[in-house]
Amino acid sequence: MTTPQTALLLVGSAKPAGESSSEALGTYLLERLATRGITTETYHVARALRTEARTQELLQAVDRAAIFILAFPLYVDSLPYLAIEALERIAAHRQAQGSPAPAAFLAIANCGFPESHHNDPALAICEQFAAAAGFAWAGGLALGAGGAVNGQPLAKAGGMLHNVVAALDQAAAALVADEPVPAETTALMAHPFIPTRAYMLMGGLGWLLQARQNRVLTRLGARPLT
Amino acid sequence: MQATILNGALPGDSFVDAVGAALQAALQAEGWTVTSWTLRDEKVAYCLGCFECWTKTPGVCRIDDTGRAVAASLISSDLAIYLTPITFGGYSSALKKAVDRAICLVSPFFTRIDGEVHHHARYARYPALAGVGVLPAPHAAQEQIFHTLLGRNAINLHAPTHNSVVLYRDQAPAAATLRNVYAFSGRVAA
Repeated sequence: MTTPQTALLLVGSAKPAGESSSEALGTYLLERLATRGITTETYHVARALRTEARTQELLQAVDRAAIFILAFPLYVDSLPYLAIEALERIAAHRQAQGSPAPAAFLAIANCGFPESHHNDPALAICEQFAAAAGFAWAGGLALGAGGAVNGQPLAKAGGMLHNVVAALDQAAAALVADEPVPAETTALMAHPFIPTRAYMLMGGLGWLLQARQNRVLTRLGARPLT
Repeated sequence: MQATILNGALPGDSFVDAVGAALQAALQAEGWTVTSWTLRDEKVAYCLGCFECWTKTPGVCRIDDTGRAVAASLISSDLAIYLTPITFGGYSSALKKAVDRAICLVSPFFTRIDGEVHHHARYARYPALAGVGVLPAPHAAQEQIFHTLLGRNAINLHAPTHNSVVLYRDQAPAAATLRNVYAFSGRVAA
């Protein structure tokens, strides 16, 4: 009897478990892998880096995984601090092993701008991490307008996200076949699912509503640090 | 003229620390007032992604630690220098923790810059931005990523101008190289 492969999802968002769009995207992909007989597990960077013992647990999970997926929100054109520290620790761990077990690495980035290409530098960094840590680079999926996912499970998402769902379905098939994600899949994920002008308008209204609820509507443009 | 150096050296990285010290000395010799932050030694919590610095306490992070002072130092400067060991092409975790906390310096609202969507400026003026990345040896792909990342950060920070330099650990940086890091900003500060 063959031991089933394991896929590890590392959620790179600092938000609590169950609340981030990164987790929603990564979890959907894990669910698709599970239907193909892959064993799955999920770690969150904030929890995994809180103590050395938990970090060691994460590193052991990485050692078990044949497929390693990092899903993260774009912070200032790159990965968030927590995700970078996790990648630093994982790369050092695998480099110390000399010949780490072969495994594939896939990155999923989502940003709050409507254009998905804002994620490009972050995904290029992920590709360099894969090379440094001895992973086979399976590809990077870039999503714009990530705020529209809003942390909701993709399985319940409406038609607006059908391209995202289809891209993750295709990515799962590629990972199970031990192949990199095809260019058509990355293009499908990156395809805008909401017009830029509409996203800008909705985003602006969203900020105004939150500010109104917090009673700071007139202070939104404050310059308190000078 | 005011400069802020964010030193993202990880523990034990004496080379990056030495570059930071040399940069500070060179700037001071030319009349700059320099604030230098060795970030690994500072109490800076990570950004929670809560956006309260945009919608609840506009312009200030809810976390009351050195991260606030670093953001204030950046926006008060004519020149900001991001100094870091290049980590997979990007910034070290120590530098990125502070950079993430500086999103309070821009507005949540969107604008277009050269056709792309970015966040509106919050302040009337921003520092010129310089990046100094350190690699063990030449690495074309990682150097390209570093230069691209610094350029993208400059757009999002509304920096009036920017420059990035890559140094290698087997070469002590020459004075001319150090000057190249910040000389581009002279016109801005004048």
